[in-house]
Amino acid sequence: MARVKFLCDVERCIDCSGCVVACKEGNHIPVGVNRRRVVTLNQGKPGEKSISVSCMHCADAPCKAVCPVRAIYQRDDGIVLVDKKKCIGCGYCFMACPFGAPQFPKGNVFGARGAMDKCTFCAGGPEENFSAEEKRLYGQNRIAEGKVPLCAGMCSTKALLAGDADVVADVYRERVFQRGSGVNAWGWNKAYKK
Amino acid sequence: MPRILLIIFLFFVAGSADFVAAGEGQALAGLSTGSSADYYHALIAIISGNWQEYGQLFTTLQGQWFWKAFLVIITAVPGVFLLHYLIIGPKHFDHAGEQILFFPLSARIVHFIVAISFSLLVITGLMIVFGGYLGGGIPIRLARYVHLVSAIIFVLPALVMFFMWLRDMLPQVHDIAWIFIIGGYLSKKKKPVPAGKFNAGQKMYFWFATFGGGVMAYTGYIIWEMEAHVDTLRLYAIIHNVLGMGIVAFYMTHVYMSVFAIAGSLESIKTGYKSKDEVDILHSRYRY
Repeated sequence: MARVKFLCDVERCIDCSGCVVACKEGNHIPVGVNRRRVVTLNQGKPGEKSISVSCMHCADAPCKAVCPVRAIYQRDDGIVLVDKKKCIGCGYCFMACPFGAPQFPKGNVFGARGAMDKCTFCAGGPEENFSAEEKRLYGQNRIAEGKVPLCAGMCSTKALLAGDADVVADVYRERVFQRGSGVNAWGWNKAYKK
Repeated sequence: MPRILLIIFLFFVAGSADFVAAGEGQALAGLSTGSSADYYHALIAIISGNWQEYGQLFTTLQGQWFWKAFLVIITAVPGVFLLHYLIIGPKHFDHAGEQILFFPLSARIVHFIVAISFSLLVITGLMIVFGGYLGGGIPIRLARYVHLVSAIIFVLPALVMFFMWLRDMLPQVHDIAWIFIIGGYLSKKKKPVPAGKFNAGQKMYFWFATFGGGVMAYTGYIIWEMEAHVDTLRLYAIIHNVLGMGIVAFYMTHVYMSVFAIAGSLESIKTGYKSKDEVDILHSRYRY
């Protein structure tokens, strides 16, 4: 299978946070944990831009490299997953990650962090596909159902793209070609006289 | 006809000037608003900061070097001591003769609490470092909890121990002589060794365990809390691991010396007494 990737189109993202809500509700993520978040630049000013961020499922993932119990593994399609039954909640993956993706539920003994939780690309975890255990620990397994992740599936402006890296890149390339971007974006010259 | 040409010429000049102005405007607009690539650049700076500074350093060290360094320490240090035990062997002293009170009850109680909690910290710490080989999961997660509880128990008695032995642990000139002969441990002869109540090796371990222990406790607390900035966490995790290596090496030395290298040494921290024979050799400058 080809490698899968996420891509968020900043010219389309409108900071609606629908992806965050879809992910949280659809996967029953505990309070205090967000697998996905939206970051906004120049909020309320001209040129405001937003991007939706989660685990990027890196090639040569730093989180996987630093895990002392080797709880993090990567599938052939590039999806990086965590085995919550192996994870000890040490937090090293959070320190290694450039995107702040690994999250830790609180409220255990002595305020100890529970097992790490992060975006699974809606591919479940190491448990048996569609098992109750998989659903309880990791949420939905939409990849096994042949669907895109919840966040990208419900994105109303289709800013967030997910799937086969080549297809995602083609869709984005075509968009940029058609509309231009930044000051060359459609309508900018008329609207802003620039 | 020339007039028409002039008008056309003027139109042409004015038009090109207008065109140049428009071009400048376009370029300036490009600077102030930017392209998608500029936005991605600005957004990634907000999201990941300067990951190359500490993130990459932490990833390389924790991913490739820390466990190897710990592995070398926990194999090389006991290996050297095994050779020492086989070639030079432990020191034996006459324990029948006159006894000197070396550690009063209060000191023994403080030492006992610190020793137990410190041992647990070292063992559980190493369990976390080598968690991958132990399969991870519940045993290593428990090791993390024990690591925290031991640290909480360790801190206060360690502070008491620090002030209790501070005066005896200050470096002295004869400590240099002790280091040069490595405390006389490389010879089988019983020649008086230059040391007061504590020898230079014990002093080094003392500073590693108390002052170093304090640094470990503080960095460990910040890592446990995980509320600080991620770069701070990365730096503290590096300090915690590197200092941990030194502490583990000294801890194993202390255990070897007290349990194996000097016969009956373990008894003296339990009963508080050392034999005069032993004190005159190993702590020759101690005034009793």
